[in-house]
This record gives sequence, C-alpha cells and structure tokens, in this order.
Amino acid sequence: MALRKIAFVLEEFIVSAPSQQLLDRFLIGYLRDGEFRRIPNLGIAVWLAPAAENSTALADATTGLAVRQRDFKLVSHSNVTDALKDAEAVVAIAARDRVSVGEDLLKNVLEQAPIGAACFVHGCLATNLASAQRLVSIAAARKLAVAVATSVSTTFRLPEVDVAANTPLAEALIVVQGPRPLAELSAIDGLLPVVARRKGGESRLRSVRRLQGREAWRAGDKGEWSWPLLSAAISRSNTTQGDPVRDGRTQDLVGLGLVRKLARDPRGWIIEHTDGLRSTILVLDGVVADINFAVRSRDGSITSAQLYRPPAPNRAEFDRLAAVLEDFFTTRSAPWPIERSLLVSQFMQIVTA
Amino acid sequence: MKSHSKTTTRRTFLANIAKTTAAGAALTVAGCAYVKTASRHPSRKRIALIGTIIRKYSHAQHFVDRFLEGYGWHGRWHHPQVELVSVYVDQFPQGDLSRDREKRFGARMYPTIAEALTLGGSKLAVDGVVLIGEHGRYPRNDKGQTLYPRHRFFRETVEVFEASGRAVPMFQDKHLSTSWEECVAQVETSRRLGFPYLAGSSLPVTWRIPSVEVPLGAPLIESVCVCYGGVDSYDFHGLETAQCMSERRAGGEAGVKTVQAVRGENVWKLLGERADTERLLFAALARSHTLRPTPQGYTFPIPTREVLQRNNRAPVAYFIEHNDGFRTAMFLLDGSVRDFTYAGLTRDGKIISCQMQLPMPPAISTTADFFNPLVNHIEQMVLDGRAPYPIERTLLTSGTLVSALDSLHGGQVKLDTPQLNVAYQAPAQSTFWRA
Repeated sequence: MALRKIAFVLEEFIVSAPSQQLLDRFLIGYLRDGEFRRIPNLGIAVWLAPAAENSTALADATTGLAVRQRDFKLVSHSNVTDALKDAEAVVAIAARDRVSVGEDLLKNVLEQAPIGAACFVHGCLATNLASAQRLVSIAAARKLAVAVATSVSTTFRLPEVDVAANTPLAEALIVVQGPRPLAELSAIDGLLPVVARRKGGESRLRSVRRLQGREAWRAGDKGEWSWPLLSAAISRSNTTQGDPVRDGRTQDLVGLGLVRKLARDPRGWIIEHTDGLRSTILVLDGVVADINFAVRSRDGSITSAQLYRPPAPNRAEFDRLAAVLEDFFTTRSAPWPIERSLLVSQFMQIVTA
Repeated sequence: MKSHSKTTTRRTFLANIAKTTAAGAALTVAGCAYVKTASRHPSRKRIALIGTIIRKYSHAQHFVDRFLEGYGWHGRWHHPQVELVSVYVDQFPQGDLSRDREKRFGARMYPTIAEALTLGGSKLAVDGVVLIGEHGRYPRNDKGQTLYPRHRFFRETVEVFEASGRAVPMFQDKHLSTSWEECVAQVETSRRLGFPYLAGSSLPVTWRIPSVEVPLGAPLIESVCVCYGGVDSYDFHGLETAQCMSERRAGGEAGVKTVQAVRGENVWKLLGERADTERLLFAALARSHTLRPTPQGYTFPIPTREVLQRNNRAPVAYFIEHNDGFRTAMFLLDGSVRDFTYAGLTRDGKIISCQMQLPMPPAISTTADFFNPLVNHIEQMVLDGRAPYPIERTLLTSGTLVSALDSLHGGQVKLDTPQLNVAYQAPAQSTFWRA
C-alpha cells in the first residue's frame, strides 16, 4: 500500500533529538539498504505542543519547522485532530528528557487516529502497566496497529550478531549509562529484542530487583549477575573511560578490577523472567560510553555485541528505525508484538517508582 | 636523527631514562595491577616494535598498547600470544608515552634498531618485527609526501636479518615507502630472504557496516571509495579500502595501467564523464554516517552533484585504470564526510556497498579499536609464519599513491604506469573483522 500521509505528534521539536531525526527522515529522506530513500508523494503533517517561551525547543521549532514548511512542504496544524485527519500512519514522540508521551496526549492521538492506522510511539507506551493496557485497549478498539520503541532496539550491532531463534538462554546483561529512567529505557529496549528470540519466546517478569551503589558489586560478587558477561559486553566497547581517555591505551577494565573504581554511583536491575531467564541491567556512568550486551545460552556459549549508535548530528541509527517504520506503515503489521511494549511499561513502572 | 625545538633527541631521552631507571623500581605504583611481562612468558614468541613516536593516538601507541595491554577480540579480552620485548622509538615529542610503557611493562627500549632486534646482543633475538613509520615530525617534499623513515626502518631491520642469517615475519604500517623503487626493493628483499611480509592500513580489516564481502571471483568492474583527509595520508586508506574489495574480482588483481589525480573543479569535470562512477559515488555516500547536513539543522538532503560541489571547495580524486579494464576511483570529500565508504559495481549492474568503520578517537571513541584486527593479524602471522593477505596489495596501493601524487604535482595529467603491473590473487578467506 502506498503511503500518502503520516502525521507527527510532537511534544517538542529539537534539532538532533528523536523528533527531528524521525521527522526529517520521512520528510526529506533517509539511507536505506545502500540507497537514498525518499517515499514518493508522501505528505507530512505535524502538530507540535506549545513550547515554553525563550526555550531551545521554541527556537528550534520556530526556525526548524518554518524552513521545513517552506522547503519540504511540511504542513503544520494547530490541533491534533487536523493533523491526524486521513493519516495512514501516526508518529508520536515524547520530549527528549521524557521516556513517554504524556498519557492524555497519547490517549487523544489513539482516539482520533483514523481507524486502522499504524501508530508508532517513540519511547515507552506509559510508565505504568495499567495506563499502557488502557492505551492498548483503545488502539485495539479502533483497529490501530501499534508499535513502541526507541532507536536502540533497531540500531546496528557490532558485530552483526543475533541470538539464533529458539536458543535456550540462561542469562543476559546490558551496560548503559545516563540518568534514570532514560538509561533504563535504553537498556530494556536494547535487550528485549535480543532475548525475545530465546526458546519459548518472551515470558513475563517474575521479579525486578534494584541495585544501588556498592550493592551492585556485591550482587555480582555473589553471582547474582555475571562478571564474565559484563567482561564480554565491555569487550565490545570502544569508549572505555579512565586511563584510555587520558592516554589512548586499551584496558581490560573488568580483568584489572577497574570497573568498580570508575563507576560513578552505579545502579542496576536484576530481572527474573518467568521462564527462568535472568537479565541484568547495569547503569555504569564513567566506565564506558556506549551500549553493549552479552547473553549466555544454556550450553555456556556467549553472544555479545555493541548496540552501535553512530555520531551526531546524523545519528544514523534513526535510518534503521525509519526503515522498520516505513515497512510497518506500509503493511500495518507491527514489527514486534505489543506485549513487549507492555513489558517495558511494567519495568518502567518499577524503575520510576 | 635531528631534533626539533620541542623534541628531545633519542639519545638525550634514553640518557634521561637511564638516570631515572635506577629509581624505576621504587616508582612502581603501589597496588598497580600491571606486571612486567618480559620474563613472565618465556615460551611466547617475542616481537620488537620500531616506531617513529609513541604519544597519545599515534599509530605506534595504538600498536604498542594492544600488544602490551591486550584488546577486545571476539567477545572477550585478548592477551596477545606474542610478547613485545623491545622497542625502538625515533623521536620523543612532548606527551611521549614510551617511557611510561617501558616502566609499566618492561618492553625495553633500545637506542638503535639493531639493538632492539638483537636485544642488545649480536644476533636477531626476536620472532617478529613491527615497523610503524607514521606520525612524528619529518620533512615533506614538494609533492606533499611526508618523508617518514619507513624505508630506513625496513633497511636497518633487514641488515640485522642478513647479519644473523635468519629472517622473521615483518609488519609495516600503511604504505611501504614514498618512493616506488624503495617499495619494490622492500618486497623483493622479503622474497629473497623468504620472510612473511604484511603491510598496510586497518581499513581492509575493520568492521564493515553492513558486514559484506565481495564474493571471490565476482564480476566486479569498478570500485569507488569516498573518504576524507589529506594527500599522502588518508588517501592511502581510501585506496586500500577499494583495493581489498577490487582484488576479489574475477581473474584477481591485474595491475594498474594509468593513474590520474585531480583536484578542485577537475574532480567534477571528470566525474561528469563517468556515469557509473557517479552512481557508485552516491551509492558509497549512502553508506556514510557522517554526511554533512545541508543546511545545518537537517539530517541531510539527498545529495546531488550540486550539493557536493557546494560543500567541497577543494576535493581531490584519483582515477585509476587497471590492466584488465577494471576501474577504481577514490574521492577525498572533506566537506561532505568523515568516514570511509565503498561501492563496487558488477557487470550485471548490481552494487555492493558498505562502510569501513573507522571510529576515530577522541571524537567518537576513546580507543582506536579498528587496530584490533590488524594487531590480531600480526600476531597470527608471527605465530603461523604466514601473512594473511598478500604484500602485493600494499605494494600496488603504495605505488598507486606515489603515481597519484606525481600526477597531482605534475599538472593533474593521466600517467601511464607500466611499473604498476602488479598482478596477484586475493585470499579466499575474508580477513575483515566480523565476529
């Protein structure tokens, strides 16, 4: 089916943020499979939440959207209803310092999107499971296809590995950085697509345990998460901190016992899945500056990779996301089950509690 | 070696080391996790590194630290199975790190190349040699070539080989030399003495995005690399980026027939005469992660020739014809990209394209891990006694670069290059980083 109109509902428009990255890719074009891709005859409508006076968001929105209206025929609307009218696809994006679009706004979008439209929400659906379930119910009632994610879930992997389908997994671990809950969202969004391929598929969360400060190391020392998996994950990093920043050296941060020295206020989450899989998220500011994961299968083999996010301003990981979304919008078949998004919301409820 | 105003001479530096070494043991950091390795693994094969300078982000630093500290490899921390036991450094600039590395690891520094290779004795005492003639303050000639002492490093190393009646595997970083005659002499010497000789850039062996390989024997008819940087510098990386793919074509590499290097408006003029090349140029750009947003504040518009012309005021391009009719083009487009991308065209019109990933520190990494696979290849060569890919690749790219600079300096004319009749077959096995 040819796409004719995508409506963007933005809480803000900031250069280099997901709002600009995704809007531009559908408005102007993006890189796909070694070619420049611009969807022909596609109209883009946008509704932008009012920005605070004198804010960066206001400045970017004023100049950024104006030039896009002039140069690329972006159509700006003053209300959500008009923006959504006749759209086959909808993209809703939260402000860059938030993990989810405001519930009222998202509810409004889902209630007014044309029946059968494909809706993508950047971030998580909600920061509590009940809200997420309500939104999913609204979408189902209106026959909307819904997908929720960040660019971390679809970005490049170095190396290009995936867990073979139906592999029995025993343990997974991902290392991220940044403030709560944004770092945790990146982590869960990066890890779930990897572990969902395990034997039996994704189950539910049995328990989530928070680790803070030295408790994070104690848990690792007791085997509640795996130092070897952390070593495997960090071996994929090319942004090791500490001495490498000072003089460029390579350094075995785990083997030399430097992780706990470098980490500033570490925190972590141990997630028990109902099928017995144990996933660990470690938020290690000051150790590495990229996202890396490792998973161990029941036969002991380890798969690891960096979830590679190319540099700004292009942030080419959004090309990967745009390709997935174009297929989603064209087929109206969600690229991953909504249950993953509910699981993310359940986790984020615990993280933000 | 002549000293520069802010450069300590080697002998002065070594004299200073001698003064401080007596206290060296006491200077060892309490609780330091490092252990001097010189006598820790007597069974490991030993290597010497001969470099121009060791400072943060110099090539020699990247190599030395990987041999001493290890590096991430196949999902774990890899401690090399070879032991770096001796180092010769040609210059000691501000920020020198050689002394720190010697102190922490015991890879001893020697005042001459011969002593580094003999460990101060009379005979060759190492099992492999790594020559890093990149970075440092060396004169440039009027063609823009930096006269790094690569040939001198090679020559003095081979003198030790010959005096010892034994030769060991050698790696040489980047192009072989700035003179074609020296390049040829080096390869001939390696053949005469029968030692494995590996050389070149990290571009052929780094990650590719996507992780693609040209199938061996593919009906490839043209290769294009788009990259950035200066002449006699990153252009070599660009040539190797293209060549490691081109050499896998049906019939293998046949040698280079002509080379023409152009800059400025001539780039666009010649590009306008080559529809396939232009198609490949844009296909390569479509693998870039750094395509310049135009104007600022956008991701990027789909580029056109006009956009490229507007953004690149001083482009440089090398156009190369091979003996079998194959064509290569390499573009230095500083105004458009900050990465290395490749596109190749097959006879049936299909395009193979990827990015050779070079996340340069400090902008987007802290460690230049594209050196990991190169160091691993060196390590394997020393252990196995076999170069993983042919020296002819680097001989040809070195000679192509020399001819390109001759062309650029001599009026941007097309040069016949009968001397570049270097034919060879690529190895069947892929040698880039993919696991």
